[in-house]
Amino acid sequence: MLETIKRQFENVTDLLTETVDNGFWPMEIAYFPSLCDERIKDGLLVPYSYRFDPDEFRRMLRSNPKYVEAEDPKQWANLLLKGFVLLKVEGKCYSFKSDRTLVTEPGTTEVESAVLGPQSAFTEDITMNMALLRLRYNVPTLTAEPYDKGSYSNTSIMVLYDRELVNPVILNMLRDKLDRIRLDLLLASSSLVKELTDRNHRLFPTILQTERPDRVAVMLRKGKIVIIINGSRFALILPVRLFDFMHAMDDEYDSYWINRFLNVMRYVGIWMTIILPASYIAIVSYNPEIFRVQLAFTIDGSRAGVPYPSFVEVFVMLFMIEALIEASIRLPRIVGSTATTVGGLILGQAAQQAGLVSSIMIIITSVVAISNFVIPNPDFSQAVRLMKYPFVVIAMLYGISGVVVLFFALMVYLCNLRSFGEPYFALFLPRSHDLPNQGTKLGKG
Amino acid sequence: MSRYFYYHVLYVGLINIMIFVPWTLFQNRFHGAVSAMAIAIVIGTIMAWTTTSLFLRFPEMALSDIVKAYFPRGIALIVNVIGAIIWGFAGILVVYAYSSTIQQFFNPDMNPYLFLLLMTAAGVWGATRCSRTIQFAHEVLMLLCTPLILMILFKAIFSPWLDWDAIRVSLGYVRTRPSLNSLSAALFVFAGYNTLVIFNRLIPANTKIRQRWIIPVFCSFFLFVSFFIPIGFHGTVGVADYLYVWSITSDSMIMQYGFVYRVLYVFLLLYTALSLMFTMNTWHTAMEFIKACHPRYTPQPDQYPVKAVNWWITISFAVLTFAYAAWANDQRNQLTYQSWLIVRSISEVVVLLILVWCFFVSRRKRRSSIRQQTAAQNS
Repeated sequence: MLETIKRQFENVTDLLTETVDNGFWPMEIAYFPSLCDERIKDGLLVPYSYRFDPDEFRRMLRSNPKYVEAEDPKQWANLLLKGFVLLKVEGKCYSFKSDRTLVTEPGTTEVESAVLGPQSAFTEDITMNMALLRLRYNVPTLTAEPYDKGSYSNTSIMVLYDRELVNPVILNMLRDKLDRIRLDLLLASSSLVKELTDRNHRLFPTILQTERPDRVAVMLRKGKIVIIINGSRFALILPVRLFDFMHAMDDEYDSYWINRFLNVMRYVGIWMTIILPASYIAIVSYNPEIFRVQLAFTIDGSRAGVPYPSFVEVFVMLFMIEALIEASIRLPRIVGSTATTVGGLILGQAAQQAGLVSSIMIIITSVVAISNFVIPNPDFSQAVRLMKYPFVVIAMLYGISGVVVLFFALMVYLCNLRSFGEPYFALFLPRSHDLPNQGTKLGKG
Repeated sequence: MSRYFYYHVLYVGLINIMIFVPWTLFQNRFHGAVSAMAIAIVIGTIMAWTTTSLFLRFPEMALSDIVKAYFPRGIALIVNVIGAIIWGFAGILVVYAYSSTIQQFFNPDMNPYLFLLLMTAAGVWGATRCSRTIQFAHEVLMLLCTPLILMILFKAIFSPWLDWDAIRVSLGYVRTRPSLNSLSAALFVFAGYNTLVIFNRLIPANTKIRQRWIIPVFCSFFLFVSFFIPIGFHGTVGVADYLYVWSITSDSMIMQYGFVYRVLYVFLLLYTALSLMFTMNTWHTAMEFIKACHPRYTPQPDQYPVKAVNWWITISFAVLTFAYAAWANDQRNQLTYQSWLIVRSISEVVVLLILVWCFFVSRRKRRSSIRQQTAAQNS
């Protein structure tokens, strides 16, 4: 056995290959010490060395579920790399599962925090994530299908679903797509998202990424399919609709009216962040007669010192705010507060006093930035962040009527999207948990 | 799902303003417009009722599929081509009317073709999508438009400047004989059910379209509003002075609280959405008719991504729109609208007759097949 392994792992110095002898039996053993943990001592070395009893050792090999016969030499390399110990006694090869678990505690939510909901989040370890999920979705029908993806990273992923609720058509579509994936390195959930969506140049996300086990449980109950990936804190949920991206987990825990109010507020926020900069240009440069006279004068008065057309102003301010957002994400946490203070000062006061932008524009910029962050899902928030630029451009060319026409086109675009064959932006579909088995009928609105 | 059907009924009822229905009626307001409206309510309701019921007998089939199944190929081809012309023209007319409205009231300095380009581009983009996408979009856009529609309607009806006497006076002309022009104009308001010629594909078998009272109630309401409200604002005589009557009428109203002062702008923004919905829908229907001319065409109401042929057909509609805009002036335009309205009304009757015929043929076939089966069982 050792010869074969040594041939496969030539010059790999951190692989331990040895023939040990306790005086009764010689044993060939091979494993990566860095991938295996202390369990190898109690599970293998102690019974083999000073507590050795041939009968007991044989019994252990046969009865302990961690020992599996591994006679196929093709599997050996893979097993070693996954953290198994390979051993050969009495002419038979066994594998012993002793992979190191790096994570022993659930993570805390960082991207999707909730006020009243649970604070635990997925970790970067797939077994821990399975545990978190099984605890919350505790039924025998929860099915897991393991896959290995990435020809170099060999990342293990799990496809999870409730086999009584899942739509088999979508499941088969997903299996097909997973089989067709050719990927070198699968390091983050986002790269799997990219592979699973048909077109990479898509504006809006059609697969939901979440770090919250409770959200995954809620989605499983709705018959969705979940993919968890080893080494990623995020689970993928599909198929989803636009409204799932606008859904914060607090909505499940808050009282009815608060929930409604917050939902309406989020949609108003998304609308404002897309429309406001464009309508500023349209109103100032194209159709000032739309607003009542007093308001039009106020806006124009605040722009009195600004020496260039409104779209330049808008681009300047939007660039500043985007740069500020980007900087505060990338900066180390210690310097982060400095950036926001400096940026806030410039945006808030100096730019306006210097006569570079109007004070109304500063209000608009902050409203745009703030209402962008109201969106609970970071993926969707980014998409919306980008959406305001086409509107700014069309407002430069056509004024307010162009904005309305583009809004129409955006609505059609959203209705046009499909997430695994399911409509992305269709209202009032029958709720899936009202249906015992949601077949393909769900799509037929 | 019957609610999608009613969205079509509602927005087609509302779009009548862009197809110069009120203008046509005002020209005949002393010569039978009111009586034409009364007759149109009766005829429109009956036609809507029977056509809808007949379409439900052919589940998941568009008109072109039905005709293909029951008529020889030549006739089917003719029906498809005529359908495509009528529907394609509807979109062209509305896009043209709307962009000239916008040019008058919103961007008078802008090159008219520039705005037409934007409108046709949006119409092409919408029309190339698959039928199901268009249905979803209708629902979203109708819901977004509803508050604006309600606001304008309430503003108009409860406005102190609305002269109810003028309305009463024009109502007095109910006994004059209606003309074909005004009748076909008034019938257009009820034409929303005609969208079933394509969208019947999305209605699965055994669906019942309930609450059909919505068609007469809402469409008559829209008809009365678009006719009587301008009369109430401008008087029985003055109302015929304007070509874009409804834009002027909405400009007679103001909003005292809020950012926007003149209702005109709300009205124009609302009709941007409605006109685009109408264009999207009619061009899509015309496109499906043209695609159905191909002998090996199989309908795919839920298709993603769409085929390239969709783009070519709708882009040709856009090009035709430009050609029409270059040709048209106000007189020619009025003539086209009125002839289109008349042709459309006739086509509606033809569609009804086709459906009745197909219905009887299908019943006879079914009966004979049942008879054969029972005969086979007995022997």
